[in-house]
Amino acid sequence: MTIGIGGAGSRLALKLDRDATVVNVSQTELAKVEARNRILAVVHAAQGQLRGSRKDPRIGESAFQSIRQELLHLAEGNLVVSSTGGGTGNGITSCLLRELANAEDLAVERRTRFALVLPYAKLEPAEYVVNTTDFLQGPLSDAIDNGNTGNIFLFSNKVKFEGRLAEDDFNNKLAASFQMLLDLPGKNDELKLLDGHIDHEDFDLFLSKPYFNYFTYFHHDPEQPFGKQLDKHRNPLILPPDNPIEALFVYEVPEGGDPRPFYDILEHFAPQDVNPVYSVLENPKLKKPFITLSLLYSRKPAELVEDFNRVSQEHAEAKVRKSIEQHVNLPKLEVNLQTEARKMARQQGASEDDILQILKRLGKLK
Amino acid sequence: MQQQELFQEQVDGLEAAHFLVLCWAAAAEDRTSRYNITNCFDDLKFSGITRTKQSAVSVIDALARLRFIELREEGNRRHIFITRHGARALEHLVLKRKFTPVKSYFLEGSKP
Repeated sequence: MTIGIGGAGSRLALKLDRDATVVNVSQTELAKVEARNRILAVVHAAQGQLRGSRKDPRIGESAFQSIRQELLHLAEGNLVVSSTGGGTGNGITSCLLRELANAEDLAVERRTRFALVLPYAKLEPAEYVVNTTDFLQGPLSDAIDNGNTGNIFLFSNKVKFEGRLAEDDFNNKLAASFQMLLDLPGKNDELKLLDGHIDHEDFDLFLSKPYFNYFTYFHHDPEQPFGKQLDKHRNPLILPPDNPIEALFVYEVPEGGDPRPFYDILEHFAPQDVNPVYSVLENPKLKKPFITLSLLYSRKPAELVEDFNRVSQEHAEAKVRKSIEQHVNLPKLEVNLQTEARKMARQQGASEDDILQILKRLGKLK
Repeated sequence: MQQQELFQEQVDGLEAAHFLVLCWAAAAEDRTSRYNITNCFDDLKFSGITRTKQSAVSVIDALARLRFIELREEGNRRHIFITRHGARALEHLVLKRKFTPVKSYFLEGSKP
Protein backbone atom coordinates (compact mmCIF):
# COMPACT_ATOMS: atom_id res chain seq x y z
CA MET A 1 0.00 0.00 0.00
CA THR A 2 1.08 3.56 -0.64
CA ILE A 3 0.41 6.55 1.60
CA GLY A 4 0.61 10.06 0.19
CA ILE A 5 1.14 12.86 2.70
CA GLY A 6 0.41 16.48 1.84
CA GLY A 7 -0.76 17.88 -1.48
CA ALA A 8 2.25 16.98 -3.65
CA GLY A 9 2.80 13.65 -1.91
CA SER A 10 -0.84 12.65 -2.35
CA ARG A 11 -0.91 13.44 -6.06
CA LEU A 12 2.26 11.45 -6.68
CA ALA A 13 1.12 8.55 -4.48
CA LEU A 14 -2.06 8.23 -6.52
CA LYS A 15 0.01 8.00 -9.69
CA LEU A 16 1.96 5.14 -8.15
CA ASP A 17 -1.01 3.40 -6.62
CA ARG A 18 -4.65 4.10 -7.43
CA ASP A 19 -5.61 2.67 -4.04
CA ALA A 20 -3.24 4.94 -2.16
CA THR A 21 -4.35 6.50 1.11
CA VAL A 22 -3.93 10.26 1.17
CA VAL A 23 -3.37 12.42 4.22
CA ASN A 24 -3.82 16.17 4.48
CA VAL A 25 -4.61 18.92 6.98
CA SER A 26 -6.86 20.68 4.51
CA GLN A 27 -10.33 19.46 3.62
CA THR A 28 -10.13 21.49 0.44
CA GLU A 29 -6.94 19.74 -0.65
CA LEU A 30 -8.36 16.33 0.26
CA ALA A 31 -11.46 17.00 -1.78
CA LYS A 32 -9.33 17.79 -4.83
CA VAL A 33 -7.76 14.33 -5.07
CA GLU A 34 -9.66 11.32 -6.31
CA ALA A 35 -8.68 8.89 -3.61
CA ARG A 36 -10.71 6.13 -2.03
CA ASN A 37 -9.02 6.51 1.33
CA ARG A 38 -8.60 9.98 2.72
CA ILE A 39 -7.42 10.92 6.18
CA LEU A 40 -7.90 14.41 7.54
CA ALA A 41 -5.27 15.41 10.10
CA VAL A 42 -6.88 17.82 12.51
CA VAL A 43 -5.37 21.25 12.95
CA HIS A 44 -6.40 23.20 16.00
CA ALA A 45 -6.72 26.55 14.30
CA ALA A 46 -9.30 29.29 14.32
CA GLN A 47 -9.47 29.15 10.53
CA GLY A 48 -10.80 25.61 10.65
CA GLN A 49 -9.73 22.86 8.31
CA LEU A 50 -10.04 24.65 5.01
CA ARG A 51 -6.59 26.17 4.93
CA GLY A 52 -3.45 24.19 4.29
CA SER A 53 -0.30 24.39 6.34
CA ARG A 54 1.04 27.41 4.43
CA LYS A 55 4.56 26.00 4.01
CA ASP A 56 4.84 25.74 7.78
CA PRO A 57 5.89 22.24 8.93
CA ARG A 58 4.81 23.08 12.50
CA ILE A 59 1.20 22.93 11.35
CA GLY A 60 1.76 19.46 9.92
CA GLU A 61 3.56 18.43 13.09
CA SER A 62 0.73 19.63 15.33
CA ALA A 63 -1.80 17.79 13.16
CA PHE A 64 0.18 14.54 13.34
CA GLN A 65 -1.09 13.74 16.84
CA SER A 66 -4.66 13.45 15.59
CA ILE A 67 -3.69 10.64 13.17
CA ARG A 68 -0.66 9.20 14.96
CA GLN A 69 -1.96 5.70 15.70
CA GLU A 70 -3.70 5.32 12.37
CA LEU A 71 -0.71 6.52 10.35
CA LEU A 72 1.84 4.43 12.25
CA HIS A 73 -0.29 1.37 11.63
CA LEU A 74 -0.82 2.17 7.94
CA ALA A 75 2.82 2.98 7.28
CA GLU A 76 4.10 -0.34 8.60
CA GLY A 77 5.79 -2.17 5.77
CA ASN A 78 4.44 0.28 3.20
CA LEU A 79 5.60 3.19 1.08
CA VAL A 80 5.14 6.79 2.26
CA VAL A 81 5.29 9.45 -0.42
CA SER A 82 5.83 13.07 0.54
CA SER A 83 7.47 16.27 -0.54
CA THR A 84 9.96 17.82 1.88
CA GLY A 85 9.43 21.47 1.03
CA GLY A 86 5.84 22.15 2.08
CA GLY A 87 4.22 22.21 5.48
CA THR A 88 1.98 19.15 5.61
CA GLY A 89 4.23 16.57 3.97
CA ASN A 90 7.32 17.76 5.77
CA GLY A 91 5.59 18.18 9.16
CA ILE A 92 3.71 14.88 9.28
CA THR A 93 6.54 12.86 7.71
CA SER A 94 9.00 14.40 10.19
CA CYS A 95 6.84 13.18 13.08
CA LEU A 96 6.54 9.75 11.51
CA LEU A 97 10.32 9.52 11.12
CA ARG A 98 10.81 10.62 14.73
CA GLU A 99 8.45 7.89 15.91
CA LEU A 100 10.49 5.37 13.90
CA ALA A 101 13.76 6.76 15.25
CA ASN A 102 12.50 6.23 18.79
CA ALA A 103 11.01 2.80 18.12
CA GLU A 104 12.75 -0.40 19.09
CA ASP A 105 14.22 -2.52 16.31
CA LEU A 106 11.50 -3.11 13.77
CA ALA A 107 11.22 -6.39 11.94
CA VAL A 108 12.14 -6.19 8.25
CA GLU A 109 8.58 -6.60 7.08
CA ARG A 110 7.39 -3.71 9.28
CA ARG A 111 9.82 -1.13 7.96
CA THR A 112 8.41 1.84 6.09
CA ARG A 113 9.91 2.98 2.80
CA PHE A 114 9.95 6.63 1.95
CA ALA A 115 9.77 8.31 -1.43
CA LEU A 116 10.65 11.95 -0.80
CA VAL A 117 10.47 14.68 -3.38
CA LEU A 118 13.01 17.42 -2.77
CA PRO A 119 12.56 20.96 -4.12
CA TYR A 120 14.66 22.38 -6.90
CA ALA A 121 16.44 25.01 -4.85
CA LYS A 122 17.28 27.27 -7.77
CA LEU A 123 13.69 28.04 -8.67
CA GLU A 124 11.45 27.00 -5.80
CA PRO A 125 10.62 29.21 -2.79
CA ALA A 126 13.32 29.68 -0.18
CA GLU A 127 10.95 28.35 2.49
CA TYR A 128 10.92 24.98 0.73
CA VAL A 129 14.71 24.87 0.79
CA VAL A 130 14.87 25.78 4.49
CA ASN A 131 12.16 23.22 5.36
CA THR A 132 14.04 20.57 3.41
CA THR A 133 17.36 21.36 5.08
CA ASP A 134 15.76 21.04 8.51
CA PHE A 135 14.09 17.82 7.46
CA LEU A 136 17.27 16.21 6.14
CA GLN A 137 19.37 17.27 9.10
CA GLY A 138 16.79 16.40 11.72
CA PRO A 139 14.20 13.65 11.50
CA LEU A 140 15.53 11.92 8.40
CA SER A 141 19.08 11.77 9.71
CA ASP A 142 17.90 10.45 13.09
CA ALA A 143 15.71 7.79 11.51
CA ILE A 144 18.56 6.59 9.29
CA ASP A 145 20.89 6.40 12.30
CA ASN A 146 18.35 4.26 14.10
CA GLY A 147 17.99 1.89 11.12
CA ASN A 148 14.25 1.49 11.46
CA THR A 149 13.29 2.65 7.99
CA GLY A 150 13.32 0.82 4.73
CA ASN A 151 14.82 2.32 1.56
CA ILE A 152 14.63 6.06 1.18
CA PHE A 153 14.22 7.40 -2.33
CA LEU A 154 15.32 11.00 -2.76
CA PHE A 155 13.59 12.29 -5.86
CA SER A 156 14.28 15.77 -7.14
CA ASN A 157 12.07 18.38 -8.76
CA LYS A 158 15.00 19.44 -10.93
CA VAL A 159 13.71 17.74 -14.07
CA LYS A 160 10.28 19.30 -13.58
CA PHE A 161 11.62 22.85 -13.39
CA GLU A 162 14.39 22.55 -15.93
CA GLY A 163 12.09 20.78 -18.37
CA ARG A 164 9.21 23.17 -17.57
CA LEU A 165 6.89 20.22 -17.06
CA ALA A 166 3.33 20.41 -15.79
CA GLU A 167 3.09 18.78 -12.37
CA ASP A 168 0.84 16.04 -13.67
CA ASP A 169 3.28 15.20 -16.48
CA PHE A 170 6.18 15.20 -14.06
CA ASN A 171 4.31 12.93 -11.66
CA ASN A 172 3.49 10.57 -14.52
CA LYS A 173 7.15 10.51 -15.50
CA LEU A 174 8.30 9.94 -11.95
CA ALA A 175 5.70 7.25 -11.31
CA ALA A 176 6.60 5.48 -14.57
CA SER A 177 10.25 5.53 -13.61
CA PHE A 178 9.55 4.23 -10.10
CA GLN A 179 7.32 1.55 -11.53
CA MET A 180 10.28 0.24 -13.55
CA LEU A 181 11.90 -0.68 -10.25
CA LEU A 182 8.77 -1.94 -8.54
CA ASP A 183 7.94 -4.20 -11.51
CA LEU A 184 11.12 -6.25 -11.11
CA PRO A 185 9.75 -9.10 -8.98
CA GLY A 186 6.72 -9.30 -11.28
CA LYS A 187 9.03 -9.70 -14.28
CA ASN A 188 10.80 -12.49 -12.48
CA ASP A 189 7.44 -14.22 -12.15
CA GLU A 190 6.45 -13.75 -15.77
CA LEU A 191 9.64 -14.07 -17.81
CA LYS A 192 11.90 -17.02 -18.45
CA LEU A 193 14.75 -17.14 -15.94
CA LEU A 194 18.23 -17.60 -17.44
CA ASP A 195 20.44 -17.00 -14.43
CA GLY A 196 20.28 -15.85 -10.81
CA HIS A 197 16.96 -15.22 -9.11
CA ILE A 198 15.04 -12.40 -7.48
CA ASP A 199 11.69 -13.28 -6.00
CA HIS A 200 9.25 -11.04 -4.11
CA GLU A 201 10.86 -11.86 -0.77
CA ASP A 202 14.33 -11.00 -2.05
CA PHE A 203 13.04 -7.74 -3.43
CA ASP A 204 11.14 -6.86 -0.24
CA LEU A 205 14.23 -7.60 1.83
CA PHE A 206 16.29 -5.30 -0.41
CA LEU A 207 13.73 -2.50 -0.09
CA SER A 208 13.60 -2.94 3.67
CA LYS A 209 17.22 -1.99 4.27
CA PRO A 210 17.76 1.41 5.89
CA TYR A 211 19.71 2.97 3.04
CA PHE A 212 19.16 5.47 0.28
CA ASN A 213 18.07 3.84 -2.92
CA TYR A 214 19.19 5.01 -6.33
CA PHE A 215 17.98 3.22 -9.43
CA THR A 216 18.34 3.52 -13.15
CA TYR A 217 17.63 1.49 -16.29
CA PHE A 218 18.92 1.49 -19.83
CA HIS A 219 19.67 -0.60 -22.87
CA HIS A 220 22.95 -2.30 -22.29
CA ASP A 221 25.66 -2.48 -24.92
CA PRO A 222 27.86 -5.52 -24.12
CA GLU A 223 30.65 -4.01 -26.21
CA GLN A 224 31.02 -0.92 -23.98
CA PRO A 225 32.44 -0.78 -20.42
CA PHE A 226 29.58 -1.00 -17.95
CA GLY A 227 30.84 1.87 -15.77
CA LYS A 228 30.72 4.33 -18.64
CA GLN A 229 27.24 3.25 -19.56
CA LEU A 230 26.11 3.63 -15.95
CA ASP A 231 27.44 7.17 -15.82
CA LYS A 232 25.85 7.99 -19.13
CA HIS A 233 22.42 6.71 -18.14
CA ARG A 234 21.99 8.27 -14.76
CA ASN A 235 18.38 8.60 -13.65
CA PRO A 236 17.81 12.37 -13.58
CA LEU A 237 14.71 12.05 -11.41
CA ILE A 238 16.56 10.77 -8.36
CA LEU A 239 19.60 12.16 -6.59
CA PRO A 240 22.87 10.53 -7.65
CA PRO A 241 24.30 7.90 -5.32
CA ASP A 242 27.42 7.73 -3.23
CA ASN A 243 29.54 4.55 -3.23
CA PRO A 244 27.13 1.63 -3.20
CA ILE A 245 26.89 -0.81 -0.33
CA GLU A 246 24.52 -3.19 -1.98
CA ALA A 247 23.17 -3.61 -5.49
CA LEU A 248 20.38 -5.41 -7.25
CA PHE A 249 19.86 -5.74 -10.97
CA VAL A 250 17.69 -7.51 -13.47
CA TYR A 251 19.32 -8.13 -16.84
CA GLU A 252 16.88 -8.77 -19.66
CA VAL A 253 18.00 -10.16 -22.97
CA PRO A 254 16.01 -10.63 -26.18
CA GLU A 255 14.79 -14.07 -27.14
CA GLY A 256 17.85 -16.23 -27.87
CA GLY A 257 20.14 -13.41 -26.67
CA ASP A 258 23.45 -13.92 -24.89
CA PRO A 259 22.91 -13.82 -21.12
CA ARG A 260 26.63 -13.73 -20.24
CA PRO A 261 27.25 -9.94 -20.29
CA PHE A 262 25.81 -9.87 -16.75
CA TYR A 263 29.24 -11.09 -15.63
CA ASP A 264 30.65 -7.72 -16.75
CA ILE A 265 28.24 -6.07 -14.35
CA LEU A 266 29.25 -8.32 -11.46
CA GLU A 267 32.90 -7.57 -12.23
CA HIS A 268 32.18 -3.85 -12.29
CA PHE A 269 30.98 -3.96 -8.67
CA ALA A 270 33.51 -6.50 -7.38
CA PRO A 271 36.30 -3.91 -6.69
CA GLN A 272 33.82 -2.05 -4.46
CA ASP A 273 33.14 -5.24 -2.48
CA VAL A 274 29.57 -5.21 -3.67
CA ASN A 275 28.02 -8.49 -4.65
CA PRO A 276 24.75 -7.67 -6.37
CA VAL A 277 21.59 -9.69 -6.09
CA TYR A 278 20.59 -10.34 -9.70
CA SER A 279 18.53 -12.24 -12.15
CA VAL A 280 18.84 -12.66 -15.90
CA LEU A 281 15.61 -12.95 -17.81
CA GLU A 282 14.62 -13.56 -21.39
CA ASN A 283 12.21 -10.90 -22.64
CA PRO A 284 10.85 -11.64 -26.11
CA LYS A 285 9.60 -8.05 -26.46
CA LEU A 286 13.13 -6.67 -26.41
CA LYS A 287 15.53 -6.25 -29.32
CA LYS A 288 18.52 -5.21 -27.21
CA PRO A 289 19.61 -6.19 -23.68
CA PHE A 290 18.08 -4.04 -20.97
CA ILE A 291 19.22 -3.55 -17.40
CA THR A 292 17.39 -2.23 -14.37
CA LEU A 293 19.81 -1.52 -11.54
CA SER A 294 19.27 -0.38 -7.98
CA LEU A 295 22.06 0.73 -5.65
CA LEU A 296 21.88 1.19 -1.91
CA TYR A 297 24.16 3.74 -0.33
CA SER A 298 24.48 4.75 3.27
CA ARG A 299 25.92 8.23 3.09
CA LYS A 300 24.08 10.67 5.26
CA PRO A 301 22.87 13.40 3.00
CA ALA A 302 25.54 15.72 4.39
CA GLU A 303 26.58 17.06 1.03
CA LEU A 304 22.99 17.47 0.12
CA VAL A 305 22.34 19.45 3.28
CA GLU A 306 25.41 21.55 2.59
CA ASP A 307 24.20 22.25 -0.89
CA PHE A 308 20.75 23.17 0.35
CA ASN A 309 22.24 25.43 3.00
CA ARG A 310 24.33 27.22 0.43
CA VAL A 311 21.38 27.78 -1.86
CA SER A 312 19.25 28.83 1.09
CA GLN A 313 21.89 31.37 2.10
CA GLU A 314 22.05 32.71 -1.45
CA HIS A 315 18.28 33.05 -1.46
CA ALA A 316 18.29 34.97 1.79
CA GLU A 317 21.07 37.29 0.64
CA ALA A 318 19.35 37.91 -2.67
CA LYS A 319 16.12 38.74 -0.85
CA VAL A 320 17.85 41.22 1.43
CA ARG A 321 19.64 42.82 -1.52
CA LYS A 322 16.40 43.04 -3.44
CA SER A 323 14.51 44.64 -0.58
CA ILE A 324 17.29 47.16 -0.01
CA GLU A 325 17.52 48.05 -3.67
CA GLN A 326 13.78 48.36 -4.07
CA HIS A 327 12.63 50.03 -0.92
CA VAL A 328 15.43 51.61 1.06
CA ASN A 329 17.87 54.30 0.11
CA LEU A 330 20.32 54.41 2.96
CA PRO A 331 22.34 57.63 3.12
CA LYS A 332 25.70 57.54 4.81
CA LEU A 333 25.15 58.82 8.34
CA GLU A 334 27.86 60.46 10.34
CA VAL A 335 26.44 60.62 13.81
CA ASN A 336 27.97 62.69 16.56
CA LEU A 337 26.34 61.44 19.72
CA GLN A 338 26.94 64.69 21.58
CA THR A 339 25.29 66.71 18.83
CA GLU A 340 22.41 64.26 18.64
CA ALA A 341 21.93 64.42 22.40
CA ARG A 342 21.81 68.19 22.26
CA LYS A 343 19.36 68.02 19.40
CA MET A 344 17.12 65.73 21.42
CA ALA A 345 17.43 67.96 24.44
CA ARG A 346 16.56 71.01 22.37
CA GLN A 347 13.40 69.28 21.27
CA GLN A 348 12.54 68.83 24.90
CA GLY A 349 13.69 72.16 26.34
CA ALA A 350 15.07 75.52 25.43
CA SER A 351 18.19 75.73 23.33
CA GLU A 352 21.40 77.41 24.46
CA ASP A 353 20.67 80.33 22.15
CA ASP A 354 17.24 80.74 23.71
CA ILE A 355 18.80 80.97 27.17
CA LEU A 356 21.25 83.64 26.05
CA GLN A 357 18.36 85.57 24.47
CA ILE A 358 16.43 85.35 27.73
CA LEU A 359 19.39 86.61 29.73
CA LYS A 360 19.77 89.57 27.36
CA ARG A 361 16.08 90.39 27.58
CA LEU A 362 16.25 90.29 31.36
CA GLY A 363 19.07 92.88 31.13
CA LYS A 364 21.19 91.02 33.61
CA LEU A 365 24.17 90.64 31.32
CA LYS A 366 26.38 93.66 30.96
CA MET B 1 41.64 89.54 38.68
CA GLN B 2 41.32 87.36 41.76
CA GLN B 3 37.58 88.02 41.83
CA GLN B 4 37.35 86.79 38.27
CA GLU B 5 39.30 83.71 39.25
CA LEU B 6 36.97 83.04 42.17
CA PHE B 7 33.93 83.50 39.98
CA GLN B 8 35.39 81.09 37.45
CA GLU B 9 35.98 78.49 40.13
CA GLN B 10 32.48 78.94 41.48
CA VAL B 11 30.98 78.44 38.04
CA ASP B 12 33.18 75.43 37.33
CA GLY B 13 31.93 73.87 40.55
CA LEU B 14 28.31 73.99 39.45
CA GLU B 15 26.54 70.82 38.45
CA ALA B 16 23.71 70.02 36.04
CA ALA B 17 21.08 70.59 38.73
CA HIS B 18 22.43 74.11 39.41
CA PHE B 19 22.54 74.84 35.68
CA LEU B 20 18.93 73.78 35.24
CA VAL B 21 17.69 75.80 38.19
CA LEU B 22 19.39 78.87 36.72
CA CYS B 23 17.83 78.14 33.30
CA TRP B 24 14.35 77.66 34.70
CA ALA B 25 14.55 80.69 36.96
CA ALA B 26 15.63 82.87 34.01
CA ALA B 27 12.93 81.44 31.75
CA ALA B 28 10.26 82.00 34.40
CA GLU B 29 11.34 85.56 34.96
CA ASP B 30 11.32 86.13 31.21
CA ARG B 31 7.69 84.98 31.15
CA THR B 32 6.96 87.04 34.26
CA SER B 33 5.98 83.87 36.03
CA ARG B 34 6.71 83.26 39.66
CA TYR B 35 8.99 80.25 40.12
CA ASN B 36 9.09 78.97 43.65
CA ILE B 37 11.01 76.27 45.50
CA THR B 38 8.17 73.76 45.16
CA ASN B 39 8.02 74.31 41.38
CA CYS B 40 11.78 73.86 41.24
CA PHE B 41 11.63 70.64 43.27
CA ASP B 42 8.94 69.28 40.92
CA ASP B 43 11.04 70.10 37.87
CA LEU B 44 14.14 68.48 39.31
CA LYS B 45 12.09 65.46 40.26
CA PHE B 46 10.43 65.10 36.83
CA SER B 47 13.80 65.56 35.14
CA GLY B 48 15.10 62.62 37.11
CA ILE B 49 17.73 64.61 38.95
CA THR B 50 16.50 64.19 42.48
CA ARG B 51 13.74 62.45 44.35
CA THR B 52 13.97 64.37 47.62
CA LYS B 53 13.01 67.91 48.43
CA GLN B 54 16.10 68.21 50.65
CA SER B 55 18.35 67.78 47.60
CA ALA B 56 16.38 70.37 45.67
CA VAL B 57 16.58 72.76 48.58
CA SER B 58 20.34 72.23 48.92
CA VAL B 59 20.83 73.03 45.19
CA ILE B 60 18.78 76.20 45.59
CA ASP B 61 20.55 77.09 48.84
CA ALA B 62 23.97 76.71 47.20
CA LEU B 63 22.99 78.98 44.33
CA ALA B 64 21.54 81.51 46.75
CA ARG B 65 24.73 81.55 48.86
CA LEU B 66 26.81 82.07 45.74
CA ARG B 67 24.44 84.96 44.98
CA PHE B 68 23.55 83.40 41.66
CA ILE B 69 19.87 83.44 42.62
CA GLU B 70 17.82 85.54 44.94
CA LEU B 71 15.04 84.10 47.06
CA ARG B 72 12.22 86.49 47.73
CA GLU B 73 9.50 85.90 50.27
CA GLU B 74 6.23 86.74 48.52
CA GLY B 75 3.20 85.87 50.54
CA ASN B 76 3.89 82.45 51.99
CA ARG B 77 6.06 81.43 48.99
CA ARG B 78 9.77 81.80 48.35
CA HIS B 79 10.26 82.73 44.72
CA ILE B 80 13.50 82.30 42.78
CA PHE B 81 15.04 85.09 40.70
CA ILE B 82 18.30 84.90 38.81
CA THR B 83 20.87 87.56 39.78
CA ARG B 84 23.35 89.36 37.49
CA HIS B 85 26.07 87.00 38.75
CA GLY B 86 23.79 84.07 38.09
CA ALA B 87 23.12 85.38 34.58
CA ARG B 88 26.86 85.54 33.92
CA ALA B 89 27.37 82.09 35.37
CA LEU B 90 24.59 80.72 33.20
CA GLU B 91 25.99 82.47 30.14
CA HIS B 92 29.37 80.95 30.90
CA LEU B 93 27.94 77.45 31.22
CA VAL B 94 25.89 77.83 28.04
CA LEU B 95 28.89 78.97 26.03
CA LYS B 96 30.98 76.14 27.40
CA ARG B 97 28.17 73.74 26.47
CA LYS B 98 28.88 71.90 29.66
CA PHE B 99 25.26 70.90 30.31
CA THR B 100 22.21 70.35 28.18
CA PRO B 101 19.03 72.35 28.87
CA VAL B 102 15.91 70.41 29.80
CA LYS B 103 12.43 71.82 29.70
CA SER B 104 10.67 72.93 32.85
CA TYR B 105 7.46 71.01 33.37
CA PHE B 106 6.18 73.89 35.45
CA LEU B 107 6.75 76.41 32.65
CA GLU B 108 5.72 74.15 29.77
CA GLY B 109 2.64 73.06 31.65
CA SER B 110 2.90 69.29 31.17
CA LYS B 111 4.12 66.54 33.38
CA PRO B 112 5.53 63.24 32.13
